[in-house]
Amino acid sequence: MSGVNTRGLLWLGLGIAVLIALPLVVKSSFAIDIFIRILLFSFIGVAWNLMGGYAKQLSLGHAAYFGLGAYTSTILQIDFGISPWIGMIAGGVVAMLASLPIGWLCFRLRGPYFTIATIATAQALMLIFLKFRDLAWGAEGTTIPNLGNAPLMMQFESKAAYYYVVLGLLAVGLAITWLIERSWMGYYLVAIGEDEDAAEAIGVNAPKIKRDIYLISSFLTALAGTFYTQYIYFIDPATAFSFNISIEAALVSIVGGIGTLWGPVIGTILLETTSTLLQSWLGSSIGGVQLTVYSLILMAVILWRPTGLMGMMREAWQRHAGRKPARA
Amino acid sequence: MWETVAQAVINGLLIGGIYALVSIGVTLIFGVVKIVNFAQGEFVMIGMYISFFLANQFGVDPLVSLVVSMPVLFVVGVLIQHFLIRRVLGPNDMPQIFLTFALSLLLLNLALMLFTANYRTVHTSYSDEAFHIVGLYIPVAKLIAFGVAMLLSAALWVFLHTTDLGKAMRAAAQNRDVAMLMGINPNRVFCVALGIALALAGAAGSLLMPFYSAYPFVGQVFVLMAFVAVVMGTLGNVIGALVASLLMGVAESLGIQYVGADSGLIVVFALLLLTLAFKPTGLGGKAR
Repeated sequence: MSGVNTRGLLWLGLGIAVLIALPLVVKSSFAIDIFIRILLFSFIGVAWNLMGGYAKQLSLGHAAYFGLGAYTSTILQIDFGISPWIGMIAGGVVAMLASLPIGWLCFRLRGPYFTIATIATAQALMLIFLKFRDLAWGAEGTTIPNLGNAPLMMQFESKAAYYYVVLGLLAVGLAITWLIERSWMGYYLVAIGEDEDAAEAIGVNAPKIKRDIYLISSFLTALAGTFYTQYIYFIDPATAFSFNISIEAALVSIVGGIGTLWGPVIGTILLETTSTLLQSWLGSSIGGVQLTVYSLILMAVILWRPTGLMGMMREAWQRHAGRKPARA
Repeated sequence: MWETVAQAVINGLLIGGIYALVSIGVTLIFGVVKIVNFAQGEFVMIGMYISFFLANQFGVDPLVSLVVSMPVLFVVGVLIQHFLIRRVLGPNDMPQIFLTFALSLLLLNLALMLFTANYRTVHTSYSDEAFHIVGLYIPVAKLIAFGVAMLLSAALWVFLHTTDLGKAMRAAAQNRDVAMLMGINPNRVFCVALGIALALAGAAGSLLMPFYSAYPFVGQVFVLMAFVAVVMGTLGNVIGALVASLLMGVAESLGIQYVGADSGLIVVFALLLLTLAFKPTGLGGKAR
C-alpha cells in the first residue's frame, strides 16, 4: 500500500525518537524490563514471520535456533573467554548451519506435518543438550559469570543498555524484512506461501528460496538467544529450547498480522501487555493463566480476523479514508 | 539375555496399544477432514481426568468409566467440528493448524488452572497384579488396556468397512468432491470422524488411568508419539497408524532398556528423522 512516502518517514522518525528517548524518561526498571521483553519477542516474531508469515512455512521449532544461539555464545564465553558480541554472530552461523539439514528433512513435508517435524527437531535438540553433559552443562545449566559493567562482554549495569541492544536487533530485523518485502525474494516467498505448486510451475525455485529464508530466519532467531542469555545471566536446556519460545514467535506474528512488516511488533505489544496486566491482577501464583488467555486471543483472531490486528487496522483506516471525499 | 529383550518388546507392545488409539484418531481426522488435530493429546488428558474424578468421587473403576469418557468425548468432538473446525476448512493451512494448536494450549492451561500440576493416580485392585509367564512379567492393567485398545481398533475397522456411514467416511477420505456429488453430507461425516477420534482418545485416557498418572501435560507425551506414528505409517492410513504405533512402543521401550531411562524419546525422534530422510511418504508407501 504505502511505499516510501514523506508521511510514513515522518511517523517512522517520530517513532524512533520516542523509542530512543523512552529509557531516559522512564526510570522504573520494572517498566524497562517489560519494554525489553516486548522488543525481544517482537524481534523473534519478526525472524519467524520472514519464513512463517511470508512463505507460510509454519514452524513451531524456532526454539532450536534460539537455543543454539544461546549455547554457542555461552560456551564460547565461558570455555574460551570470547566476547558474546562475537559469540552472537558465531551462534547465528551455527544456527544457519543447523538449519540446512533440519530444513532438508522438514521441507519434505508440507502443511501441518512440516509443523510437527519442526517441533520434533527442536525437542530433539533440547534432549541432546539435556543428555550429553560433555557438550554443555546438562539439565542444571549454568550461570553466566557477572563481570559488572563490561560492555565489551555484553554486560551492562543499567537495564537501559540492554534495551538499546535489543532495540538495535529489532531495527535490523525490521530493515531486513523491509528489504526482502521489496525484492524478488519477497515476491517469491509470497508466491510460495499462496500456492507452492503454482509458484514452482511458473519457475520459482521453491526449495532454494525456502532454504535461503530459513537461513536468514534461523540466524536472526539465534541472535535473540544470545541476547536473552546475557540478559538473564543463566542458561539451561529448558529455558534455551523452551517450546514457549517457538509458540510465542508464531503467536505474536499471527495475532499481529501474519506476513506483514509490523505485525509481529503489534502482536507482541498486545500479548505482552495483556500478560503483564494479568500478572499484576492475579499475581503469578496461578499457573497457566497467561497461556489460557493467549490461546483464547489466538482462537478469536483465527475465527474472526485471520489477517490479525494489522488487517483490522487497515480495514478501519480504509473505512475512515473512504468517508472522506477524494483529494483534489 | 533374550528375556530382557522379550520383556522390553512386551512392555513396548502393551504401551503401543495405547499409542495406537491416539494415532488412529489423529490419522482418521487427517484422512477424512484433512486437518491435523494438535489437541488430540489433550483429549487423552481429559479422558484421564474423567476417569480420575469418577473413581475418586464415586469409586467407579477406570475401565468402567470408559462408558462415560467415550460418549462424552464423542459429543465434544462433534461440537468442536461443528462450531470450530468447520469454520476454518479451506485451502489455507494457517487457520487449521493454529486453531487446533490453540485448542491444545487452551485445554492444557485450563487443566493447569483447574486441577494444578499435581499428579493424580487411581489405585485399583489389579493395579499391582501381574502374570508371570516363562520369566516374563505382564502387568494385568496394561494387558487389559492393550486388549481393549485392539478391540476398539478392530471395531473401528469393521465400522469403516461394513456400515454405510463408515463407507461414506472412507469415500470422503478418498475424494471429498466426488463423495459430495454422491450425496454424502461432508459436515455430518466430519462430525462423526471427530467424534470417533476423540472417543478413542478418551478411551486411551480411561485405559491408562489404572497404571499411569494424570497431569495437565500428560497428553503431550502421547500426541508426540501419535504424530510420529502417523507420519511413519503414511498419513491417513488406519492400519499403518496401528502398526507404526506398536513399532514405536517397542522402539521406545528398547531405547529405554539399552540407551538409558530418558532415551525413549530420542529413539523415537531418531526414527522420525530417519523416516523423513529415507521414506518421507511413510511405511505405507504412496505419495500424498
